[in-house]
Parts: sequence; C-alpha cells; structure tokens
Amino acid sequence: MCSRLLKKAHLLRYAQPSSLRRTARTPHSSGFRKPCIWTFLSSRLVSRVVLLVLFGWAVPAAAIDGPELLKQVDRNLNPASYESYRKLINIEPDGRQKEFTLFTVKKDRDKLASLFIAPASEKGRSTLRIGDNMWFYIPNVGKPIRITSLQSVVGGVFNNADILQLDYAAEYDVEKVEEQGSEYLLHLKAKTKTVAYDRIRLWAGKEKKLPTKIECLTEAGMLIKTLYFKDVKDFGGGVIRPAVIETDSPLYKGYKSIIMMAKVKARDFKDEAFTLTFMPNLESLR
Amino acid sequence: MKRLHSLLVALSGIALVLCPSVLRAEEYTFDVSETEKKPYSLGGYVELRPTISWLDQDAAMYKLRFYDRSEGPTLPEYKAALQLDGSIEKGWATLFVRLNTDYLDSYLGSEFTTTAFEAYLSLKPAPSLVITAGKRTFKWGKGNAWNPVAFVDRPKNPDDPGLDLEGYVAASVDYIRSFSGPLKTLSITPVLVPVSDHVNEDFGEANHVNIAGKIYLLLYDTDIDILFLSGGSRSSRYGLDFSRNITTNVEVHGEYAHLNDVRKSVIGTDGSTHQTVSDATSWLLGLRYLSEKDTSYLLEYYRDGTGYTEQELANYYAFVNNAYDYYLSSESDALLRKAAGAAAYGRPNAGRSYVYLRVSQKEPFDILYWTPAVTAIVNAEDRSCYLSPEITYTGITNVELRLKGTVLAGNRLSEFGEKQNDFRVELMARYYF
Repeated sequence: MCSRLLKKAHLLRYAQPSSLRRTARTPHSSGFRKPCIWTFLSSRLVSRVVLLVLFGWAVPAAAIDGPELLKQVDRNLNPASYESYRKLINIEPDGRQKEFTLFTVKKDRDKLASLFIAPASEKGRSTLRIGDNMWFYIPNVGKPIRITSLQSVVGGVFNNADILQLDYAAEYDVEKVEEQGSEYLLHLKAKTKTVAYDRIRLWAGKEKKLPTKIECLTEAGMLIKTLYFKDVKDFGGGVIRPAVIETDSPLYKGYKSIIMMAKVKARDFKDEAFTLTFMPNLESLR
Repeated sequence: MKRLHSLLVALSGIALVLCPSVLRAEEYTFDVSETEKKPYSLGGYVELRPTISWLDQDAAMYKLRFYDRSEGPTLPEYKAALQLDGSIEKGWATLFVRLNTDYLDSYLGSEFTTTAFEAYLSLKPAPSLVITAGKRTFKWGKGNAWNPVAFVDRPKNPDDPGLDLEGYVAASVDYIRSFSGPLKTLSITPVLVPVSDHVNEDFGEANHVNIAGKIYLLLYDTDIDILFLSGGSRSSRYGLDFSRNITTNVEVHGEYAHLNDVRKSVIGTDGSTHQTVSDATSWLLGLRYLSEKDTSYLLEYYRDGTGYTEQELANYYAFVNNAYDYYLSSESDALLRKAAGAAAYGRPNAGRSYVYLRVSQKEPFDILYWTPAVTAIVNAEDRSCYLSPEITYTGITNVELRLKGTVLAGNRLSEFGEKQNDFRVELMARYYF
C-alpha cells in the first residue's frame, strides 16, 4: 500500500494537465502556463501532507523492532528498579475529590510494592505484586489477602493493575507498530489471560520514546479507559518522564483520576523486600 | 511555501483547541514535603459505638446472665475506644506501641480499660532478616472468620474479624529468601512464647517456654504455610494453610490443624461433667469471588474438631434451663454458677460445624462511598443462624460510619436460638488521625 501511495504521489507530482503542456516560449514566460493553486497542490511537501491526512497518519513502520521499542519505552518511563512517591487523586462528577499518597518501589520486571502514607485512614496499608500475584495488607487485619488486578483498593478509575503497573514488555507482546507523524503507535496484546487489559494501544513520541497516550481495550476492541501522560519533567539521575498521568473511562462518565509523580529515583533493592513476610515492614524502605 | 506554513500553523492551532486531552494538571498540587519521613509517627483512631439489643428472655444464655436482674426487653450499651499507634525508628531498629483504651457503659456500670495491644522492638538489618521481641500479634492463617492454625493468637470474633486483638509476649525471627523458579519465596519464622504467672498468663499452663514456627512458601503462585506449636502451655499442634487465585477473580484458601491431647469438658442435662482427652482435627475451606459488578462473595466452611456437637450443646442449654428453674424454686444459683463456669460453651462459636457467607457490593447504583453488605453464619448441625446486614459510608476523609443490624434465629436448644439477644443494632463512627 505504501509503495502505491508513493507512486501515486509521484504521478501527481509529474503529471501535467493540458493547461500545463509546453507552449511556445516567449521572452516573458518560462514556457509553462502554471496556475498558482496547481503549483501549490503538486509540490512534494503538500503531496505528502495530503496523503498523511487522507490515510490517517498510519504508515506501518516495518523496519522498527517493536519489542525493542517497547522495552525502550519502559526504561524511559521508569528505571528497572526505582522508588517513587505518587499522589493519586480521584475526582467525582460533582467535583469532590479523594487523595491518596503512596510510596512505591519496584524491582526488575515483575516485583512492585506500594505503601499508603496518607490519608490517616489508609496509612500503613500496602499492596504487593510478584508477577501475576497481588496482595493487599491492612495493618488491623494483620495478614495480606489476595486481590485481583481489576479490583481497586483506592476506588476511582484506576484499578490495581494501573497502580501496580509492571513493565509493559513483561505483560504484553507487540503485534505491530505504526508511525503516526511524530509518534509511534504500538498495538499490544496481553501475554496471558491474567493481565488486566486484553489489548492496549500505546502512543509514544519518536524523539523521547515516552508514552503520550494509552488506550486500554477488551479483546473485542471496546475502550475501557484512556491514560494521558503529561508534563514531562526531569526528576534527576537521568530520569526524565511524564510527571502526570490522567485517566478517564467511558464506563465511568464524569469521573477522572490522576496520578502525580514525585521523587522518582533509581534504587536497587533486595528481592526479599518484595515478599509477603516483609509486607508489614515496607515503611523501613523509605 | 509561506502560505503553506501559515495554513499548517492555523490547522494545528485549531486541532489543539479541539483536542479533548489537553487537561491542566497545574490545578492539582503535590507538595513534596508531604513525603518527608519523620523518625517517629503517631496515629490511630477514636471510635464511638452505641448498640441496642432486644433480649430473648426465654433463651438459656439470657437466663444465665440475667437471672438475678431485671433489665427489661432491651439493653442499651455505649462503647467508645481510642487506639493510639506510635513508633520510633532509628537505623535498623523500630519501637512500636499500640495502646487501646475502651470505655463501656452497660447494665454493669461504666468502666475504662487501657491495654497495650502491642509493644515490641523490631530489628531489620536486611530485608531478609527481621528480629522482633515484645508483645505482638502474629495473625497466622488464611481464613477470614476463623483461623484454626492461629496457634499463637487469641481467637477472633467472626462477627467482626477485622478488630484489633491483644497480642502475646514473644520473640521471633523472620528469615526470608527469594528465588527465581517455581518457588519464589521461602521464609522461616521461629517463635518463642514464655508463659508464667505474670507473662502470657492466659495463654495456657504457666512455667513453660513454648516454641512455635511457621514456614512460608510462595510455590507455583500459591501461598503455603506449615505451622506448629509445642512446649506445654497448650497441647502440641501442627497445621497447614494455603491461598491461591484459581482465576483472576476467584481465590480459594484453606487451613488444616491437628491438635494433640485436647481436653474437652462436657456438661450433661443433669449438670454432670465429664472430661475427654483426645486428638482433634480442625479445618476450613473458603472461596472468594469478585464479580464484574464489584460484588464480593466470601464463602467459608469451618469444621472445629474441639467444638461441641449439636447434642452436646442442646444438653448444655437444657441444663441451664433446669438450673434456672431450680433457682426460681430454691433461690440457689449454685447450678447456674456451675453452668457459667463452663467457659468453653460461652465462646462465640462453640459448635462443630459452620458455614460463613459474606456478600458486599461496592457503591451500588453508583452511589458513591456506600458499601452495603450482609453476613450470615450458620451452625450447619442445628441449622441456627446469625444474620447481619450492614452499610458503611466512607465519603468523608478519615471517617468511617457503619450501621449494622444482627438477627439471631434458631430452634430452642440450638446455638443461635439460645443466645441472649434476638436482635441488635449497632452504629459505629470512627475517625482516623
């Protein structure tokens, strides 16, 4: 399809209607009768712009290594092992909002833990993820219980899979990559049935290879939610990434949830910090 | 070219204005100073919990408690609680204290009780090693309402399994290792529980140092614990528990405990008592399911090998009734005091076989912050039951409000049929700080 488009562009460029056929030169003419609008439309630049607009920016990027690109996106979003503080804000249709502050630590592809440090009613609660396993710990109850990725320990549009997000490359395969202007569009498919979203469309900027938008879909392609990555910020230590993630969902009309990142810092941890036995002691990692 | 450039700039401007994803994050702030960690912390909650009970004046347990009082058909109680959690951290060491003060205003008068639920020192030289000494809870087991493998904890109340419990003085070590194969985590937790006249005196027989332990494995995405207790204050016992997600929204869990040489005291209808000593097996099997509409179902079956059979409970209640009749005719409460002394019959679930079901719905009909739930506990042998609908509201930050009703139903001489109440309504208001 690409080659046919380019061929058509070429023909548009060089085909000349009868009005442009060579006429007898005179001292005051170039030999061609060229109306201004046709000159404009037939220029190389305009041809490409028209084609891109007509065909929706979708130009398959056959030469791009999709899995490698996804890994780069993951690494640019977060170091392989890091700590961060996040504020999660749930906004209701009537404008009321609930805020949660979390301390999050991650190691490698599949270990992640979050500790609630505010508000007081949630303080001390924590979540742990090891691969497909997730647990929620409430100090009063005193023992972690298993939870699912589609639940939400905080309510709002974000669910546990969003809060305990592993590397996308750990959970999704790249089906194809398209180029859309200054962005890549990656079509991702869940590796297993346990992953929260069957399909994902991920837009990432070509220059910085950071996500700008993610659409989470069902197997049938129905939109579940959209995440918008904004306010790229330098957190220091080579970590330059979006500081704000906003999400909305057609299933939760009028609701919005926001994650604001702070203090994202590469840090290594022992594997044992990501275990059920250590969950009551996550505060000691701060 | 100039015209083209202008056209493209104009089109871009229009696109940006129309694009719905341009949201202003600067409306919300994140003050980084909120994340600064202090070496100390102090928090907790204050709670008010008034209740009113409608008494069943024909029930055996009513006669046992109120034979010499006339409280009328209803019984109000006013409870309040203050829980303070404090900790100081320096380097490896953390000192943690949880103080609980209860206030109760009931037919017996009013009283304040302050208890240190937990007070321990914890050393964490590395995430793979945690050493703890002091008064603490362990909360072993995977069950929600019952935990037959909670060998070093006080029994919890299935009516409110999330309530904090007072711990025991103990020393323990958590040694943790992680791996990359099917066995992802292994941890070993040995525990020492001393019992004397002044330390852990209600744990069991005094003048023993009891040894307990737990081995935890995360094996093939399944939590597995192997547990034991030995040492003399209680009969030796061992057990196993597990928990696993069988699909993304279905979790199964279970516990198994074998107890050696359990003493059981049984009272007949004539008040005669005989004791048996035998091994007992208790086990629990549970399932948790979360539907697409955020409805949560928790179903558990519990078999208590140390519990009383339907006939044994019926005999006890018959004895209480006989003792009450004897009191009325002779004004002697000796038999009633004998019945009251059989503490094992008075524990929350004295029977042998139970089914527990809890159904809760988060924010039904999109009514924010409201979570209704209903809990049912059925004695599977005598078919008596406890039913408790409730509704919780969490729309105010750091405030939790809960209105809960309880209905007890069953035939005469059945467990829930002979409880002192027919109905109870409770309001809980809790503020966290």
